[in-house]
Amino acid sequence: MNPKNNLIIALVIAGIIAMSYNIDANPAEFVKGIPNLAIVLKEMTEVEPNLFGTAFWSMLETIEMAFIGTVVGVTIALPLSMLAARNLNSKFVYVPLRGILAAARTFPSILWAILFVIMVGLGTFAGVLAIIMYTVGFIAKLQYESIEAVDSDPVEAVNSIGVSKWQLIRHVIIPESAPHLLSQILYMFDYNVRQTSILGLVGAGGIGFYIINYIKFFEYGKAAVFMLVVLITVLIIDFVSVKIRDKYIVKAQKGMEVKI
Amino acid sequence: MSFNKLAKQLLPTHFFSNLSTISTKTLIQMNNVWASYDAKNYSLKEITLSIERGTNYAIVGQSGSGKSTLLKLINGMMIPSKGQIKVDYQTPNINNKEFKRAMSKIGYIPQSLGLVKNITVLENVLIGSLPRIGKLNSLLKKFPESEIQEAEKIIKLVGLGGKSERKTYMLSGGEKRRVAIARALMQKPILLLADEIVSELDQVTAREIMDLVADAQQRLNLTAVMVHHDMHLALEYANRVAVIKEGQKILEIGIEGDKIIDFQSGNMSQQEIMELYNSNEP
Ligand SMILES: Nc1ncnc2c1ncn2[C@@H]1O[C@H](COP(=O)(O)OP(=O)(O)OP(=O)(O)O)[C@@H](O)[C@H]1O
Ligand SMILES: [Mg+2]
Repeated sequence: MNPKNNLIIALVIAGIIAMSYNIDANPAEFVKGIPNLAIVLKEMTEVEPNLFGTAFWSMLETIEMAFIGTVVGVTIALPLSMLAARNLNSKFVYVPLRGILAAARTFPSILWAILFVIMVGLGTFAGVLAIIMYTVGFIAKLQYESIEAVDSDPVEAVNSIGVSKWQLIRHVIIPESAPHLLSQILYMFDYNVRQTSILGLVGAGGIGFYIINYIKFFEYGKAAVFMLVVLITVLIIDFVSVKIRDKYIVKAQKGMEVKI
Repeated sequence: MSFNKLAKQLLPTHFFSNLSTISTKTLIQMNNVWASYDAKNYSLKEITLSIERGTNYAIVGQSGSGKSTLLKLINGMMIPSKGQIKVDYQTPNINNKEFKRAMSKIGYIPQSLGLVKNITVLENVLIGSLPRIGKLNSLLKKFPESEIQEAEKIIKLVGLGGKSERKTYMLSGGEKRRVAIARALMQKPILLLADEIVSELDQVTAREIMDLVADAQQRLNLTAVMVHHDMHLALEYANRVAVIKEGQKILEIGIEGDKIIDFQSGNMSQQEIMELYNSNEP
């Protein structure tokens, strides 16, 4: 290791110490807090099994919200991504659109949820709108990037046949960027389920509503039931998406590696 | 044709002829064409040539000599910086609406083939018919039964019978070339432009594919302009061979059977012709 690297490491460590001081992050507090954590954990072990039914139904509601949000969001995002792709449009279309999409992505779903709760009132609808908003911004970006990454050879070759722009999109751009789309949608759904689980914190529906309320009233045992259900659900979704990805995407991506 | 035969015919009749007259038989005419990708260098210089309908025209030259550029000029993907090009009485330009319609009749097979990897052989071939398909149907990927039958017929013709539902990325290099040829034939072309489609193949497969193109060419009475690396293959299959070097046409010969019937050379010495021919010995 050379002196220059050592200096960089020293600077990073010094920086972290200075910043921790600035934001009041004191490791001593953490150590002092460990007994508190032990109390919470102990109370959490006193789960109330009769709540599993409620937890199950509120989890189902959460998944439904995430599912609707993902599907509607992707549906809106796809045409927008085509308009935002630099290789398909003029500057005057893609520059402003990219700005709007970036704005949609800037705030996490929970901030959008606050906005929509003010707009349409408390409840699941506000949550779904928030999920849609974030999904549009996120998927549209991933998609216009994969559209721009589509190999230019087939695009040029098919263009030289004298096809229209929409024929080109339908028969070359979409098939060549689609393998990425499926994996992006799976990722988005996975992410949205986790996001929807906390939207209840601001009153936008979903299982998070129960979790935050029980925690507020120090009923950790009850909160634990709901947290456990979230954990198991996320694990199951993770497992299923890996299976789907293996089945449909790995194959396609092997194809992507084949250079004609 | 052996080199000796070629040399014997070349040596006594060494002349240069001007090709600027256009007849109705002419499909492609280039007059003093210059082309460049950047402001500084010309990839093609002073190209004058004329290709008659029904000809199998070969373009031979070393890597970087400007062969692909020449094909891009003919189908309007590129515009010359100087000079004039006519293809079937029109000036090639992809941005021109009228020429874009003409492009549906030019089967262009680029060096990279330009196949869509993630769709099937049949779907790739059907792309050749898109200019004939209505807006809505082509967005719904709904092709008329007659087009699908035509595509299946062509797929069989190029030797891919039974593989039409295969995803294109799964095919071998030779099979991919057959798909690209099938897509071009699906256009019902009057002109076929093929850029080194057999260069990377073994001799047997290369000849199979050249036979296939020659056969299609005769049946459909189309004009073919094919770029080759291998002079032998060009002499074997073409009626005319143009040799380009560093962007300039240095030689053009017309062939009938085993005979050279016409020979034009700008500024090439016998020595250079021999060297060039020898350098292409396999
Ligand atoms: N897209 C491009 N941008 C800039 N220069 C280019 C481009 N394509 C080709 N050239 C240049 O133009 C010249 C001719 O290229 P061209 O592709 O026509 O050669 P070629 O004869 O087809 O070669 P090869 O046998 O290797 O395919 C080369 O000097 C090349 O570097
Ligand atoms: Mg080339």
